[in-house]
Order: sequence, then structure tokens, then C-alpha cells
Amino acid sequence: MASKHGAPPTTYSPSPTRKPHQPVFSDSDADWVRPDGRGFHQCRPAFFRTAAVSAASGSAYAEFGNTKVIVSVFGPRESKKAMMYSDVGRLNCNVTYTTFATPIRGQGSDHKEFSSMLHKALEGAIMLETFPKTTVDVFALVLESGGSDLPVVVSCASLALADAGIMMYDLVAGVSVSCLGKNLVIDPILEEESCQDGSLMITCMPSRYEVSQLTVTGEWSTGNLNEAMQLCLDACSKLAKIMRSCLKEAASASHS
Amino acid sequence: MVGLSDGEKRFIHGGIDQNIRSDGRKRDAYRPIFVETGVIPQANGSARIRMGATEVIASVKAELGKPSALQPDKGKVAIFVDCSPVAEPMFEGRGGEELSTELSTALECCLLGGKSGAGAGIDLSSLVVVQGKICWDLYIDSLVISSDGNLLDALGAAIKAALSNVGVPRVNVAGGAAGDEQPEIDISDEEFLQFDTSAVPLIVTLTKVGKNYIVDATTEEESQMNSAVSVSVNRKGHICGLTKRGGAGLDPSIVLDMISVAKHISEQLINKLDSEISAAEADED
Amino acid sequence: MGLPSDSGDLSSEMDVDAYRRLFPTHFYEKHLSLSIRPDSRPLGKARDTTLALGAVGSVDGSALAKIGSTTMLAAIKMEVMTPCTESPNEGSIVIEFHMPPICSPIVRPGRPAEAAPVLSKQLSDTILSSGMINLKELCLIHGKAAWMAYLDIYCLDADGALFDAALLSAIGAFSHLQIPTVSLTDNGKIVVLLDEDESRKLGKEPVNSGKKKLTINNIPFSLTCILYKNYILADPTAEEESIMETLVTVVLDSSARLVSFYKPGGPVLAYMSAIQDCVALTRQRVKELQKILDEAVSGMEVD
Repeated sequence: MASKHGAPPTTYSPSPTRKPHQPVFSDSDADWVRPDGRGFHQCRPAFFRTAAVSAASGSAYAEFGNTKVIVSVFGPRESKKAMMYSDVGRLNCNVTYTTFATPIRGQGSDHKEFSSMLHKALEGAIMLETFPKTTVDVFALVLESGGSDLPVVVSCASLALADAGIMMYDLVAGVSVSCLGKNLVIDPILEEESCQDGSLMITCMPSRYEVSQLTVTGEWSTGNLNEAMQLCLDACSKLAKIMRSCLKEAASASHS
Repeated sequence: MVGLSDGEKRFIHGGIDQNIRSDGRKRDAYRPIFVETGVIPQANGSARIRMGATEVIASVKAELGKPSALQPDKGKVAIFVDCSPVAEPMFEGRGGEELSTELSTALECCLLGGKSGAGAGIDLSSLVVVQGKICWDLYIDSLVISSDGNLLDALGAAIKAALSNVGVPRVNVAGGAAGDEQPEIDISDEEFLQFDTSAVPLIVTLTKVGKNYIVDATTEEESQMNSAVSVSVNRKGHICGLTKRGGAGLDPSIVLDMISVAKHISEQLINKLDSEISAAEADED
Repeated sequence: MGLPSDSGDLSSEMDVDAYRRLFPTHFYEKHLSLSIRPDSRPLGKARDTTLALGAVGSVDGSALAKIGSTTMLAAIKMEVMTPCTESPNEGSIVIEFHMPPICSPIVRPGRPAEAAPVLSKQLSDTILSSGMINLKELCLIHGKAAWMAYLDIYCLDADGALFDAALLSAIGAFSHLQIPTVSLTDNGKIVVLLDEDESRKLGKEPVNSGKKKLTINNIPFSLTCILYKNYILADPTAEEESIMETLVTVVLDSSARLVSFYKPGGPVLAYMSAIQDCVALTRQRVKELQKILDEAVSGMEVD
């Protein structure tokens, strides 16, 4: 073992690094096709399954192409000792990546930014007043990162919360759109995200038709922004249908 | 957290409904903005912004670095926010840390544009000295000195002011170096290059209280919010970034309405801030 | 509510779940005296076990192992290193065991589970000492370049017998491992060749042609048992582990030789006969596991 000789030797990945000037997309490409052959406004097939982790109060697994995540929900359980009294429940979110989630082997560390985004996307949907003084923990593990990680985590987390029996106003579905030149592509994969000019992510509660979280990066005209939002909202409601049918199946399976 | 009595809460809500807020402002009125530039001599550029009792400082430090292998034709920008416990006891420890990351993420999202660099307020390719070898790294540090709401807008304005105050020394490249060698450089201490900040967007935060939205909310007003949308808008009227805070969901049509209101307000704000910045620069000279 | 000693009488009056939570030891003893466990297993039987190879797309080798609901995901990423001077013709393996917060209510973010580093050490000791992998096969160019195999094992669901599941997933990942074909560039770096055409175009010979798979000998398999009074319970669940604390893990290789043996303390002191019983149970289990592995590997070759 390497550690026998002190510090482990430095290693590098032998994968050929893609030349920087080989864009997935260029403006002049009139009939450009997406790397995975999808239409611009076509989402990857979504797969959801609840009750993936037996040790948790509720859990869900989601797979969108190469993006694979597991979310476990624990609680409602006792808040940390240091927490002050609160007459509404607390929501605690954490998103972690595995060391092999990204093409280059990472450290498998916490993703603080996504953790706080996940919190903001979910808190509006959960009836926090139904579990006063206690905490619900939502922990996500990204097994493989294949693009649009955060929206997948959000959708998966809301399913896991439903599986745990946490009271919610509605499911939360998340979808993102990338802007590549003049084109808007929905549910981008990693390659598309790495060269996008702008991105828009919406998480929404489809039955209530409410946006729970929205982030935009890059430069957008109002017209483009409207179009992208509408695309996302339509995709969200379709996604929510898949999520709901997954819950129904799980419920009918446990009854019979 | 602000402790407000029911009466005070009702007063704030009622005032906003009737378009006259506790401090006499209308819903779409900012507090007076005071700009002071060049407040930190060691930095390449700095500015202090005061809006009512909210006060922030931003400083920009430029250092020579190496561009990343993936983007050899671009410089690098890093944004850090520090919420001093001096400003608010709540900022001590973890509370401040969380807010700091939230604010710096929002600022990065609003100022740095998409992954490809399109729509960035700061033109990263202008930071390159020798392609693939030398570039400027900009470290933007901001400090919240005193907090009375609307930190994000104040930070955005302070960064814009600090960037327009930046003088980056001219770098002369001595001879072409072949292959992997680093070329020799000579940093001038007389000639400074100004930075074009016309494309740097401003951030307008609309805070929704009850059915109405207000700009430049104070801490008391923020405690009553349902949700807030921060929109960053550049001079062309394009949206450069957007983040949402607060738990309550928003109807998509309201989001769009908020964006158009923010755009409208930003036009006046950009002009006002520009004149304040040039006045501050004139003062400094 | 009566004292625990009175609970014998309460068992007929109480709801089963309540009794199980309030008097776990009595609940288990009642079962054990009938030679059955709450999940209807006999004492010496392990839970249903499955192994799926190639669960992760972005790595060179991976496997998902499930024993009951305990789930482990193992993945191997191959990187290149300069071998150290003492062993210039050997590669190296680094094994890390992770318990992310999703796997168990005990683990919280920011505070890694105590068990994780212990299991990491046990796993790397077992795998490296078993001689399953010949490190010389990981050499690329003598003294210049060798493979470093990063094996990361993630516990996705912790329900007892973590070591057994982790070891099984690790073996699965090594069996699935496809070593990329690489060549040496002019500046001394090793790069992956995507296909044969490319190598011809570049005019470079692959450094390791025809070495796609590692030869795996003496595969270690393990079984964890609980010792409680005179009972031996094979393949415990998390609940059983928390109530009856004495664990014994036996690792045997495919030819039934003892690779390692762990008994980390615990209130029960084991007689020789108990240990022999554990080894006998493990010998049975090795046959089962070998079959499961063979099926998983042959399933992969069909694809």
C-alpha cells in the first residue's frame, strides 16, 4: 500500500483531456444535434423509485440519463441540542457527491451551494408547522453527475419527503434549461452545461402553479427568459405526473 | 432576528399597502445612496456604499496568475463576502457563514454570467495578458459593516463602484518565450489601465410583502417578507442573473411582473449610481 | 409498566412492535429459544444476496452488492503514478470506505461515522493480504509508470454486516474492472487510446495491449456472525448488531484458507468450539458467495 511509504504519490487521470477549442456547439451550426440525439425541448427519460434506503424514514432514487441520485429523509427527530426552541419544524439539507461522480476523481465533499439551494427549493412546500420543535433531515448523495444535478436532486428529495410521510402542500419538481447561442435546450447534460451561455433553473409546485425557487445566470432578454420559463414550467408539470405515478405505484404495491 | 409587535407588523403592512412606508418612502423608492471610492489604499480599487443604515465596503485586488487549462483565454474572478459580527450579533459563527456563502453565490451568479462567459459583467478575456500563460486574477472582497436590509443590492453597487475605481498596472511582455516557458514580464508602476464597467450589471431586489413588492427593504421590512427576487440588469436592459429568497412560492406571472418592474427601476438606478460614482471619483482626485 | 423482569407476562398483552422496542433482549431471546429470527431466518442463514456488476458508468469498474437491505456501491478509478523506488514494478491500490449521511440515521453531515475508517483499514488489510490482486500486473513501464487503483466503496443503506457487503462489492468491482488501453506520449505522459484506429494514426504502440482484465486469485469472502450466549447468528441486521454486541468476522479465500479473523472485543468471550462453528458457517457461505459472483460475471460476459 502506498501509505506504507508515507504520503501517497501524486497521480493523474490518463483520460484524454478534451481540447479546449472543440465546442459541443457553435453558432454557425444550423442543424446542430445534441450529443445524446435528443430534441432541444426533449427531457431525458426520468426514472424514480421510492423506498430505496431501508434505514431512512423515507427515501427515493432518481435516474435521468447519467445523472443518478439517492435522497434519504430522516425524522422528524430531535433537533440538535444547541438549537433554540422553535414552534415550527426545521429543515436541514445536505448534498454530497461521491468521489467518482465527476469525470475527474474528486474529494467527495459536501456541496454547500447546492445544500442551501435545495433548502430554499423545498422549504416553501413543506408544512413546517406540523412538526414543531423537531428537525427533518434531507440528505442527498449524487452517485453520478451527468448534468442538471440540482433539479434532479430537488425532484428526488420531494419524493423522498412524500415517502417519509412529511406533510407537504405539493410535490416539488425541478427542471433546468441551458442557453446555447440562440437555442434553448432543456435538461442539459454535463457537456452542454460546461459550454452554456446561460442557464435557468426552476423548481415549482405544479398543482399550485407556484415557483419555489428560480435562478438565472448569463445574459437573457425578456423574451428569451419568458420562453425558457414556460418551457421549464411545462416540463415540471410533466415531471410531476411521473413522480405522482411513482408514488401511487408504491402505495398500491404496499397495500396489496 | 427583529422582534416586532403585532402593532408594528400591521403598521409596516398597512404602510406598504398604501404606498407610504415607515420611513416615508414610496414602494419603488431607494434610500439615498452615498458612494465613496478609493477607501482602501492597498487595494487596486475600492468603494464604500451607504444606503440608510446599510453600509458595505468592496475592494478589488488584481494579481498575476495563470489561466486555467480549460479556458486559456480568460482571466479569473473570485468573489468573497464577509459578514462582520460587528454589523449584527446574528452574523457571529455559523449564521454569518451561511449568509456569506449565500450572498457570494448570488453575486457570482449575477455578475459572472454563464459558464462560457457570455453575458458576464466583467469581461474575462480582457484580463488575459499572454494567452494560456499569464492573466490577471481579480479578488473581489466585500465586507458588510452595518446591516439594515438589502445587502445584495448594496454589495452589487459597491462592487461596481470598486471595479470602476480599479487601475490595473500595464504589463509589458519582454520577448516571446517559446514552448512551455513563462515569458518575462515587466509591471509598470506609472501606467494604469482603467476597467470598462459599463457592462457590469446592477442588482435590484424586489421584496414581496403581502400583495405588493418594495425595493430596498430595511431589516424590519425584510422580516415581514414572503419572498424576494433579486434581478441583475445591465445597461442594455438584459437580465444577467436572478435568484430568489424566502420560502413562499410565487406564481410564474408574478415572477415575470417582478422582473419587468426590476428592469424599469434599474434604468434610473444605473444612471443615479453612475453619476454618484463619477462624483466620488472627482472628489478623490 | 412493569420492570423488564416482568415482561414475560406482558408479551401476551402488548402489541408486538411495542414489545420489540421496549424489551428488545426478551423479544430476541424468545425467538432464539425457538431457533428462529424475527425476519423468519434460521440462526445460521444469511440474507438474500445479490451482486450487479457495472452499476456506475463513469468509472473503470464498479459493482453494487446487496445483502438483505444492506447496500454497497463500489467503484474503481484507474490513475497513473510513478511507482516508488522500493517496488518499481508494482502498482498500488487505495481503498476508501465511505458512510455518507444517507445510509443511516446515526451518521450526520460533517461528522464522519466512527465505523468508516475502521472498515477502510479492515478492507484494505484483507484485500491486500489475500493476494487476490497481483500488484505487478498494475505495472505499466518499469520504474516509470504504474496504475494506482482508487477503490471507493459507498454504503448506501446500512443494515448490518457492513464488512461482508463491502468486501463483496469490492470483489465485484475488481471482477468488472476493464483496464483502459494506454500509450506513452512524447512528453512522458500516459494517455488513454480510445480505439485501435487512433493508435495507428498516432503511430504509437499501446503500452499494455491485451491486458484488459486483472487475474484474480484466492478471492476472499467473509461472513460476520453474532455471538450471544450459546447462540451464533449469521449475517446480523443493524437491529441485531445493536442489541447483541459481540461480532466475529471470518474471511476465507476460495480454497477455504483463513485470510483474516476479527473479533473486536465485546461482552461474550468465545470458546474454541464457537469459533470453529463460525468458520464452518463461513465455509458454507463462501460456496454461496462464489456462486453469486460467478453468476454475476457470466451475466456480464453475455452482454
